[in-house]
Amino acid sequence: MRILGIESSCDETAASVVENGTQILSSVVASQLGTHGKYGGVVPELASREHLRAIVPVVREALTQAATKLEDLSAVAVTEGPGLVGSLLVGMTYAKSLCFAVNLPLIGVNHLEGHIHAVVLEARQEGTGVAYPALALVASGGHTHLFEVQPGFHYRLLGKTRDDAAGEAYDKVAKLLGFGYPGGPVIDGLVPYGNPRAVRFTLAKMKGNVLDFSFSGLKTAVLRWVEARDLSREIEARRNLLRATPQPTTEQWLAVTAPATLDLLASFQRTVILELLGRAAAAAESIQARSLIISGGVACNAGLRAAAREAALPYPVYFPTPGLSTDNAAMIAAAAFPKLESGAFDDMSLTARANLVLA
Amino acid sequence: MPVFRTASEEETIALGEKLARQLPRRAVVLLIGNLGAGKTTLAKGIVKGLEVAAPEEVSSPTFTLIHEYGQSRRVYHIDFYRLETARELATLGLEELFDREAVFLIEWGERFPEYMPAERLEIRLREVQGDEREIEVTVPAPTRGAELI
Repeated sequence: MRILGIESSCDETAASVVENGTQILSSVVASQLGTHGKYGGVVPELASREHLRAIVPVVREALTQAATKLEDLSAVAVTEGPGLVGSLLVGMTYAKSLCFAVNLPLIGVNHLEGHIHAVVLEARQEGTGVAYPALALVASGGHTHLFEVQPGFHYRLLGKTRDDAAGEAYDKVAKLLGFGYPGGPVIDGLVPYGNPRAVRFTLAKMKGNVLDFSFSGLKTAVLRWVEARDLSREIEARRNLLRATPQPTTEQWLAVTAPATLDLLASFQRTVILELLGRAAAAAESIQARSLIISGGVACNAGLRAAAREAALPYPVYFPTPGLSTDNAAMIAAAAFPKLESGAFDDMSLTARANLVLA
Repeated sequence: MPVFRTASEEETIALGEKLARQLPRRAVVLLIGNLGAGKTTLAKGIVKGLEVAAPEEVSSPTFTLIHEYGQSRRVYHIDFYRLETARELATLGLEELFDREAVFLIEWGERFPEYMPAERLEIRLREVQGDEREIEVTVPAPTRGAELI
């Protein structure tokens, strides 16, 4: 049973054909990063216009690569939220039209559930499967959530950020220091050159739900550190580099970054990782999880992956391969597979919902 | 116009609650201040005071641009941090949103003053020291020609 997945909730227009929730026959992602980079972030109008331009060729490419005709499909799955409404609408309208035209069932998928299923899909490929209950940490530019995942894909929200998302903290720190967008990969690449214990940041103490996250205090602490020094020449040098070279290499960044700044970045990242892994481990313990899933764009972070390995947690920790960590449509098709099996289809009244919650 | 001082996050939230009770049913509030000044924190207080959501539910809209809270009474929590040009702003569809009976809390709202309704509140947040904040509420003088719109 083949599902065509369509994802357009934020940066990427993506389409994918996945067979039986396991075999990725194709996964095409038309990244809009080139468009967004010079704006330092996601711009909604550009986003929806780019989605509109990309959606038809991306779906066609996904079907071609998968050697799949529309009549070979069992369903079309589409991200219904959360995300930017204008962007979501492009994928949603396209998916509904396609279903109407060729008489296929439609399945709406929550974007966050998709991120969790990126891991579920790869575990199926390995033939191992994920042991439940699982604890899922979904961390990206817009989200930082902890979910309990029970068999049958029932979810319970255990914690989420009360202010900035983890990826947003990376982006704001990177912008503050003159690094490009997105901030995560640049900072992650420079961290090995700094001392992660050079700058002392305090971990957030949460009142109420101790499994909630907060990254606003850390962001402010980085700002204070920068304000206390004169980094203007260094920052200007990086902005110039970025103007001359759209995607500088780590070596090029190193040439315009002082050792103290590298120490700051390493210390910042160490703190983010302690926050993420500390709360994920505490949440996993609270539900007696038998596995830990870490997904979303921040799951690409090499420092986070290494720290999770070194933590020697008493249950397996699953990261998706990098291509499935960031936004993609294979995860949407994979998340739709159990819904296809149980006949949980949506009708044409399905709408894009910017604030859709998973649990 | 009043200037308030708060000594902690809790006090900033409490001030937001107090300010919320004085807001008309339709209001545009610009939240102005540097990174970490407490814009989202004050928004938490206002949302709490309007009884549309708990403070824990209110997070930064930087990435997602618009958060929406409440049913019968509605709050739009908006963030212009990522927007660079008026052309990008124009496509958020704010004119249509501004027609609704709702409270609009706009972080970094000072970036596009000419696109904001003349009738609005401006709240400036400044860090004094540590967690201490100075919070100034002003009603800007209407700009010339605003009465024609």
